[in-house]
Amino acid sequence: MCLAIPALITSVEGTTARAEIGGVERTISLALTPEARVGDYVLIHTGFAIGVVDEEEAQETLRLLEELAEFYPDEVEVSQFPNLPISQSPNLPISQSPNLPVSQSTNEVH
Amino acid sequence: MRYIDEFRDPRLARKLVANIQARSTRPVRFMEFCGGHTHAIFRHGLRQMLPPTVELRSGPGCPVCVTANTDLDRAIALAKLPGVILATFGDMLKVPGSHGSLQTARAEGADVRVVYSALDALRIARDHPERAVIFLGVGFETTAPTVAAAILEAEAEGLDNFYVLSLHKLTPPATRAILDAGEVRLSGIIGPGHVTTVIGSRAWEFLPQDYSVPCAVAGFEPLDILRAVAALVEMAEDGRPAVVNAYSRSVRPEGNRVALEIMQRVFEVSEADWRGLGRVPASGLALRPKYVRFDAALAFPVDPGPTREHKGCRCGDVLRGTVEPPECPLFRRVCTPARPVGPCMVSAEGACAAWYRYGGADV
Ligand code: SF4
Repeated sequence: MCLAIPALITSVEGTTARAEIGGVERTISLALTPEARVGDYVLIHTGFAIGVVDEEEAQETLRLLEELAEFYPDEVEVSQFPNLPISQSPNLPISQSPNLPVSQSTNEVH
Repeated sequence: MRYIDEFRDPRLARKLVANIQARSTRPVRFMEFCGGHTHAIFRHGLRQMLPPTVELRSGPGCPVCVTANTDLDRAIALAKLPGVILATFGDMLKVPGSHGSLQTARAEGADVRVVYSALDALRIARDHPERAVIFLGVGFETTAPTVAAAILEAEAEGLDNFYVLSLHKLTPPATRAILDAGEVRLSGIIGPGHVTTVIGSRAWEFLPQDYSVPCAVAGFEPLDILRAVAALVEMAEDGRPAVVNAYSRSVRPEGNRVALEIMQRVFEVSEADWRGLGRVPASGLALRPKYVRFDAALAFPVDPGPTREHKGCRCGDVLRGTVEPPECPLFRRVCTPARPVGPCMVSAEGACAAWYRYGGADV
C-alpha cells in the first residue's frame, strides 16, 4: 500500500497535473507537492504526488556505486534479477533453504 | 522506466554484494519494516544473494495486515448500514474479519466499492448526494496525508455526505513497540522509503539514540535495498549505529513539509489497535475536533459484536517478526491467497503472500 511509482509530469493545472507512467498518462493531485513542475519526476501514491525525485541525488547515488564498483572485481555472480509475473513464479533457489538457521543456509552467491 | 531500470543494474548489484560479503564477519539480523520491501526482496531474489551471516526478517509494515479485527469488524458493520457506500482500497476487500469480510458483505448486498485513491471516494460522494460515502482510511504516513487532503477538499466544497473511518497508523511507534518487546534480536532496521519520504529520515533518529540500533532508509529497487543492507552491515560491524539515508533521491531529512502539515492539520495522534502488537499508545491518527463531522465512527455508531481471532493463524507473530510464514501450520496447506485465513496472506504487502508467491512450491 506504500507503493509509489516515479512518473513524469507533462502538464500542470492548478493543483492537478497529468503525469506519464510507463507510457500511460493519468491525472494526479499535486496537493502534497505544490513545488512540482512540468518535467519533474514525482512519486505517485494513490493518485497523489508525495515527493519530487531529486535528479542530482539519483546521479550522485549511481556515481557512488560506480566508485564502490572499482574496489570490487567481479568475484560474485548475480546474472539477472528474477522479476517474474506472479503467475510464472518458479521455484526460486530460496525455496531450498527457507527454514534453516542462518549458519546452515545455502544462500551464498556463487 | 526512469529511476527504476538504473537501480536494477545487475553489475552494480554484484559489487554491492561483494562489498557486503567483504564487510560481514558476524551474524546479523535486519528487519525490513515495510511489506513493500519484503515483496521486492523476494521478487528480486535478494535473500539468497546475501552471505549466510546476513538475515532479513519481515516486519509490521503492511497496513492491511496490522488492521485489528475489531476495526475491520466495524468497517464491515458500517458497510452493511442501509444507504451507505463504503469505499476501500482493493487490498482490504478479502481480509477476513471475525465473521466474514467486506467481500462477503458485498455479496450479501452491501455497497462496497474499490477505489484507487481517496479522491475517487470524493467523486462517488459528489455523484451520490443522497447516500453516505464512507472511505476506509487504512495506511501509514504515506497514505494519511492523501486522505487528509481529500477531507480538506470535501470541506472546501461543502460536501456533507463524505466520511472517513480513520484507521491510519504511525510507523515509528510500531518499531519502538517491537524493540521494547525484545522478542526478536535485531541488529538494524531497513527504514520504509515512502513513509520516510513524508516523515523525513530524522524521524528514525531514536533508533540509534535510544536503542543503539542502526537504520538505513531504503528505496524499493534491488540496488536501493542492497545499498541499505551494505550500510547496516558496516554500522553493525563498526558498532556505530546511525541513520543512513540510502534513498536520497526521494527522502530528505525533514520529509515532505507540506504533506506533514496537511496531515497534522486534519489528524491528531491517538492510540491504535494493531494486529500482533495490541494497543499501542500514540500510534494512530484520529480526526481533530474541527473535522469530527467527517468521522464515520462518530456519525454512525455501530456495534460490530464480539471479536474473534482466526484460529491457528500466526499473522500477529509474523508481523512482530518472531516467526516466518512457513512456521505457521496453516501456511500453504490451509491458507492460500485464494482462501486466506489471515490478512498476511491477502495483502500484496503481506509476508505470507510473499513467501507463497515467490518462496517456491516446496516451502
Ligand atoms: S499463513 Fe495464513 S494462517 Fe498462517 S500466519 Fe499467514 S495468514 Fe495467518
